[in-house]
Amino acid sequence: MEAQTKGYVMKRVSRIMGYSILIITSLILISPIFFMVVSSVKIDAEYLSYPIRVFPEIPHWDRYNLVFTMTPFVKIAVRTGLLAISTATITTIISSMVGYAFARYHVPGSKQLFWLVIAMMIVPFIVILIPQFMLYSKLKLTNTYWPWFLEALGGTPFYIFLFRQFFLGFPKELEDAAEVDGCGPFRIYWQIFLPNAKPVIATVMIFAFIAVWSDYLKPLIYLNAKKTLLGVALASAFKNPQGFDLKTVSLAAGVIYVLPLILIFFIFQKNILKGVVTSGLKG
Amino acid sequence: MTTEMTQSQIRKSNSGKPFLTRQRRRTLTFYMLISPWLLGFIFLAVIPLVIGLATSFTNYDGLNLDSIKFVGLNNYTRAFGDPDVKFSVGRTLIWGALNLPLWLGLSFLMALILNQDVKGRGAYRTIFYLPSLVPIAIAVTAWRIILEPNFGMLNNLISQFTPKPVAIKWLSDYAMFGMTGISIWLGLGVGMIIFLAGLQGIPDELKEAARIDGANDWQVFRHIILVLMTPIIFFQLVMGLISSFQQLNLPLLITKVGISTTSVAPRPIYLYMIHTYTQIFTNGRYGYGTALLWLLFIGILILTIVVFWSQKFWVYDNSSEGDS
Repeated sequence: MEAQTKGYVMKRVSRIMGYSILIITSLILISPIFFMVVSSVKIDAEYLSYPIRVFPEIPHWDRYNLVFTMTPFVKIAVRTGLLAISTATITTIISSMVGYAFARYHVPGSKQLFWLVIAMMIVPFIVILIPQFMLYSKLKLTNTYWPWFLEALGGTPFYIFLFRQFFLGFPKELEDAAEVDGCGPFRIYWQIFLPNAKPVIATVMIFAFIAVWSDYLKPLIYLNAKKTLLGVALASAFKNPQGFDLKTVSLAAGVIYVLPLILIFFIFQKNILKGVVTSGLKG
Repeated sequence: MTTEMTQSQIRKSNSGKPFLTRQRRRTLTFYMLISPWLLGFIFLAVIPLVIGLATSFTNYDGLNLDSIKFVGLNNYTRAFGDPDVKFSVGRTLIWGALNLPLWLGLSFLMALILNQDVKGRGAYRTIFYLPSLVPIAIAVTAWRIILEPNFGMLNNLISQFTPKPVAIKWLSDYAMFGMTGISIWLGLGVGMIIFLAGLQGIPDELKEAARIDGANDWQVFRHIILVLMTPIIFFQLVMGLISSFQQLNLPLLITKVGISTTSVAPRPIYLYMIHTYTQIFTNGRYGYGTALLWLLFIGILILTIVVFWSQKFWVYDNSSEGDS
């Protein structure tokens, strides 16, 4: 009897501890985003004032107007968005095709080549990125968006892997029946496999879009200030005429920059989380 | 369509004995389908790697193509004598030793708690994942509000409990800690979601059976949950290791203070890739820089192989049970 109450008390205590850890961690995780949002409607004097006040006296929404008037924000955002959408579409199509081939064709060399795909996932990307930059600059492709398109045209190992795993589960009869009906291999892929892969298509599209939209290193290395993308533009923009950073305007720009990603997350949460899980369980 | 045409033509010309058997036709189709990736692999990965390797044996500085010289292993031997390389390797190892266990441990702990019968699990999962969505450039900007020495929220909070206000330089003198905080903030959600999925894949019967055999909570955790999770821990460790040792974005962005954009990273976060990046992009030492890149590649490869080798001592192997 006593043991039972003891067990009950222990359970209660561990539950309360569990919830406390969850709530405290959530607060810590949310705080940078929270401070970014409230500080984005402060003026710089409030941001740099002492003692610190969390909320501004009155919200200065004009910080958001300044984002648009001080830099060609809209232009850079549209450019980044278009590049992200177009390259995401290309890499999704190519990766699905390659993934289909690896899933459905067991021919001489296919196994070894798939090992290469896996190996490319664990090669440190930076070791390739910098020589790529040297190659692109020799070919006069820096300060253009060709590097993004060329890389999209080659597909992406992780996305190829995701599609392959998905297509592995398709019944063999589906393919055989289509082949008997005279469907060529490309039509089998395009009209039978691809339309049935919508969840993976969504996951890959979102991942590929976010990768370009959020990127900092590639635009930093490949593009000059005139052609750059949002990640680099926002990390360095917004100075007053004397050249000092307008910190809170940068924060307002940051909020606008993150907003589409948050929206995408809430709409496609399932696809995103599934993709993350697959990325971690593939070993 | 065209391939079908040529196929039938070939078939006709070799009347009776088709040259393209079904197997050969399928092989051809396979290579056609994967050709974009294969071309990309050759031109965007293999060739740059070879160019990088070739450059590392020269004195190339970006401008001296006409007077370029083969210098053998000079760039490599130079790296071993470069005190900055030694220093930055040390910082990178400390970074990995600080960042990796903390990230793995915290993600695993959060997944364990969320795997209990928790109310609002979905909401917590969302909150934990949100930071991973924030682009790295903005993440560092947002964290400055908290980590700034004089006006930062963290020092302000600490000052409530100290006799004198503190001004700890989380982004310069103590940047290793500031950077670890930002990095874990960005990665916790991803790690937690992967571990949570792994935990949910552990069959309940297994835990029940152990309890019926008299195992207590700790024993169930230690001998069932932890053991079954080792393949996932292993995989996360490998991926985390590779990404930690090539970390460049975070120190680069933390360094960017105020109006100066060419400032040198604070010593505590002068990581190996920062040194390499400076050699290539600031000093134009392509030959030396690519040698440093290849050394990084070899270093990461050796570490990865060591971790793979260590698998047999601690990673649970379920392949013998036919389930994978």
